Amino acid sequence: MTGAVTGSTGRGMTELPRQAGVASAVPARRGSRKIAGRRRHRDNLIAYLMLAPVVILLIIFVIIPLISAGYLSFFNWSFYRASEYVGFRNFVNVLQSPDFLASIGRGLLFATMVVPTVMILAFLFANIARGLGGRIAGFVKTSIYIPTIISGVIVAIVFTIIYDYSGGVLNWFLGLFGIQPIAWLADPSIALPALAVPEVWMMFGLTALIMLAGVLDIPDSYYEAAALDGAGWFKQMTYITIPSLKNVILYLLIANFTASLQEINLPLLMTQGGPLNATLLPNLYLFNHFTQDTYQGQPIAGALLLFIVLGAISASIFAVLNSEKAVDG
Amino acid sequence: MAMKERSSVRVPRVIVGVFFGLAALFPLAWMALSGFKLNSDVLATPFSFFPPSWHVENYVQILVDPDFSRAMMITFAGAAIFTIFSIAINSMAAYVFARLDFSFKRTLWVIVIGTMFIPNMAILLTSFIVVTKLHMLDTMLVLILPPLASAAQVFFIRQFYLNIPIALEEAALLDGAGRWRIFTRIFLPLSQPAFVVVGVTSFMAYWNSYVWPIMTITSPNLYVVGQYLANFRVSRGPELGLLMAGSMLAALPVIILVLIFQRKIIGNIKIAGLK
Repeated sequence: MTGAVTGSTGRGMTELPRQAGVASAVPARRGSRKIAGRRRHRDNLIAYLMLAPVVILLIIFVIIPLISAGYLSFFNWSFYRASEYVGFRNFVNVLQSPDFLASIGRGLLFATMVVPTVMILAFLFANIARGLGGRIAGFVKTSIYIPTIISGVIVAIVFTIIYDYSGGVLNWFLGLFGIQPIAWLADPSIALPALAVPEVWMMFGLTALIMLAGVLDIPDSYYEAAALDGAGWFKQMTYITIPSLKNVILYLLIANFTASLQEINLPLLMTQGGPLNATLLPNLYLFNHFTQDTYQGQPIAGALLLFIVLGAISASIFAVLNSEKAVDG
Repeated sequence: MAMKERSSVRVPRVIVGVFFGLAALFPLAWMALSGFKLNSDVLATPFSFFPPSWHVENYVQILVDPDFSRAMMITFAGAAIFTIFSIAINSMAAYVFARLDFSFKRTLWVIVIGTMFIPNMAILLTSFIVVTKLHMLDTMLVLILPPLASAAQVFFIRQFYLNIPIALEEAALLDGAGRWRIFTRIFLPLSQPAFVVVGVTSFMAYWNSYVWPIMTITSPNLYVVGQYLANFRVSRGPELGLLMAGSMLAALPVIILVLIFQRKIIGNIKIAGLK
């Protein structure tokens, strides 16, 4: 709803933090402090006035909900009845709930299908599109960007029809090769991969464009020197491209991983979590319990736990990267 | 490119690149064309990409459907208001964090940026409780107000402001111009490239919202367009040509925005700071 949408899903977040900008700001701030001298903090009034709208709205609609989620997770809380303090029982219960744990496992499986596919396709695309220029590059970049901005509702509608059993284009296409129609969204063993396809389709564009920006940043001279030394395509990829892109790849891995783990529109609209809960991803599980349960302490506790787990995963991936850097020297 | 490529390398590059582009566009192109088909032709076998016969009726019929056009207009109005106000308040905060010196600056910065890392789902239910207590349910305000302040946008605009040379405002400061005057006279006119990016992002976020609206909006005359389409699919499922036409029209505003601003948005995808 808030920044979390743009920040965590990556959709629409079109620029990454720039350290260069931060670094250049430091001397500037020092400079102004020197000029201001004894008039330090003279900007308090105007600063607080101009900050007020953002800070007040964030407090009301993000910080208060977060604090009350933390608080309510210790209560047997309900919209309709008096609540009762239950200590850690909600956390214990949700962690022992097979449905919740299964939904997280399913989310991880979904992310495992989506993220490597997106990354490999984007990597290939970036290395191919590197050499494109002019109009063709413009057309290709704009075309792959468009799926990233389309509403999840529309994506769900279109892909449901593509997957239609008797008249969908996918089964028709497979039929050309003599393959029998497949019930993509009704077969519990196929439904989750079937949802992974539109997820990949939506996620590919921005990932590929960020990867392309990274590839274009690698000086041509590296490749020329490697080619002179007789390095082939594969060696150039493993010794030049991938190491140069390490941090870009890591950022995209984390952003796409957390985004696909939090996907809700596709299962909500295409399968309602079915068949047999095969597509009940964690956020849909929580959403269903938020909207259907009488006592909501337990799903609130589950949502908070998931949030902590996501943070821990991101942090540990960064830790791995840093230690690797240390080995490299 | 410094290196001039041989055509034996270049031609496959072009073919594969264009293939990626077409694969990305295929589902949308098929949706747009299916809007011209009869309901029975959308799922007809054998598959046809182009309509066997062209029918503009679907597009006309969905446009004159008062529920659809109302949903389109009210979503557009909401998205426009949302975009303008989010740019206004987030750019003010960005300017303050980029240039002003005040007490508790660090603390406030950490709090604001910290909100960027809170997943929606962690606060979805308690946000619902908050808007219920504020009596905002089933009003436009519940769609506009809660997501208005955005740490990601404050961060993005601040980065942009940090790159504006300080010399530009020094003369104005020496002349005794106030901070507000410097913001409106010097920073705002220079902000257009950043505002294009955050503006399109805001518009898109509002236009594409679905989960929050279905929790908070119950009056059909306030439905956002995604909500309308999802309901249409359930209640009028067999009218596929109409559904495709409606989906296409609902996708159009964001596509047009991206086409208008493509250079500024796609050109802005940079990776500095990730090396």
